Amino acid sequence: MKLRGRVAKKYGDDINTDYIIPAYLLQESWDKQFFADHAFEYFDPSFKTACRANKESIVVAANNFGCGSSREQAVYAVKYNNVVAVVAQSFPDIFYRNCLNNGLLPIQVADTSRIEQGDELIIDLESRSLKDLTRGEDYVIIATDSAVDQMKKGGFLGYVRERLRERLAAPTS
Amino acid sequence: MGSTIAEKVISRAVARKVHAGELIDALPVDKLYFNEVIGPPAILNFQKDFGDVFQDAGKRMKVFDPMRVAFMPDHTVPSCSIMVSSGIKLMANFAKDQGITMYKEGDGIEHTIASEEGFVLPGEIAVATDSHTCTQGALGSLAFGIGTTEAENLLATGELYSFTVPETINFQVDGKLQHGVYPKDLVLHVLGLMGEGGCSKRIAEYSGSTFDSMEMDGRFTVCNLSVEMSARTAIINPDATTMSYVENALQGRGASLTSEQSNMIAKSDPDATYSQTVRVDASEVEPTVSLPHSPANAKPVSEVSDPINVVFLGSCANARRSDLVVAAKILKGRKVHPDTNLIVIPASRKVYNWAMDNGILATIAASGANIESSNCGPCFGKHMGILAPGDRCLSTSNRNYKGRMGSPEAFIYLGSPATAAATAVEGRIADPRKYLVD
Repeated sequence: MKLRGRVAKKYGDDINTDYIIPAYLLQESWDKQFFADHAFEYFDPSFKTACRANKESIVVAANNFGCGSSREQAVYAVKYNNVVAVVAQSFPDIFYRNCLNNGLLPIQVADTSRIEQGDELIIDLESRSLKDLTRGEDYVIIATDSAVDQMKKGGFLGYVRERLRERLAAPTS
Repeated sequence: MGSTIAEKVISRAVARKVHAGELIDALPVDKLYFNEVIGPPAILNFQKDFGDVFQDAGKRMKVFDPMRVAFMPDHTVPSCSIMVSSGIKLMANFAKDQGITMYKEGDGIEHTIASEEGFVLPGEIAVATDSHTCTQGALGSLAFGIGTTEAENLLATGELYSFTVPETINFQVDGKLQHGVYPKDLVLHVLGLMGEGGCSKRIAEYSGSTFDSMEMDGRFTVCNLSVEMSARTAIINPDATTMSYVENALQGRGASLTSEQSNMIAKSDPDATYSQTVRVDASEVEPTVSLPHSPANAKPVSEVSDPINVVFLGSCANARRSDLVVAAKILKGRKVHPDTNLIVIPASRKVYNWAMDNGILATIAASGANIESSNCGPCFGKHMGILAPGDRCLSTSNRNYKGRMGSPEAFIYLGSPATAAATAVEGRIADPRKYLVD
């Protein structure tokens, strides 16, 4: 599986989920697009326009992208602005799992300092490599086999439905 | 090879011995609780994504085990908007249909009542739709936050998928906290040492003489804030203090620990493997505040005296009984500074009623504080004390990110309940120790 996209935004360390989507909005809608419309509204009001300018955008950050609250709305806020992947040096677990569950690729590489806004990137999950076409540099994608598997499937829903089917078919249930 | 408490809890759940780094395909969860922020979409998604599976099997739509699920509306209650009310109603209807216990608005903050009601027990795996679920680690349970999708999956099957057993950092904390220095100061100090990403992907296990002599209120506070250094969760080995708390909580609803529940209690082996050991001398910690805009931006209170016009004593980090006791001690016979608004929100209805029966709320009210019914309050930035541009707030909560409690142009400082009370009196960040000379 290969994805090609352009870096629409680049951030530093510790971008928390409150910055991605402020808490006061969380209870005001059950529609994922609503959160995309309010993405980064305090922290970086230009986020939406920059990401929507491309069909497939990529967000790049340094360490610990998505820290803080467990709100999955932060993933919707990023993804539904045409963002296919977040490339960062590290992700906290809750945000990482929320990304996997929603088909937003959390791509971990050792060093993002040389990737710049506007660069064109190719993410190749088969070879676990990230290529910066603009700068001609290659990076190794750090991910477990199961995470890569989940990235390819776009989440777990099919598997969970199967588990539920088995449980309902069992004589004890 | 010895095991950490976390490895033992997970091993018990999957019925085989596992160690850090191992991948578990399906991890069964013992307890699951929802607030009214993520509860409504999780329920709607559960119905949408699994309804046909139940139908095809000719079965009624049912959560995996209603006795293991609880709903706790707490973030913005009593409800502050039509959407919030609609979400709570949706949860109440679903709870009634499924036989799930639903707490009332004002019963308390989810992480406070989950332990106070004996819903989460030592040795269990507990998950909830909030990052501060790690608070339950104070009981010796493995507890962490999940997102909406995992919540709907859990309603269906009671399992978490593709879970890697995390490594653990051993925080060895020894020494006696100085008079006027509290577990909140200790954990802010630890956040300062580690940074916002310092415990990423790893569990923070706390041990040492400081924790041996620490009451449960303080242990909850320390575990609660550990997620601010991106810890997977926090955990403390259960001891006599833990068990006395748990027995008391269960007695409150006419129950006691069953032998099956007792058998789940786990403790780390002396030869357990840790990814790192961090030693902290608690006797050197001073009253500590975290400055805007990071919980890890910790400084001794003696180095800070910024003016403060809003003080919030509340949230799942503090506002338990001992926190209100020390605040009342400082506020007794004193008035809140004329330029400062003090908001006090007890962490649960039980704490509220206990503080009322013991005259603590009367003392706090007489100082000029606003006392609200139990909920997350302004920490969530949606009601009960939203900050204006330029406001400076000292809060006993756990996050001081820009915009967390209202305007992104406000400034939030974190501190202990004692520091909060002293600050409310002086209208600027104040060292509480001078008010605590017996």
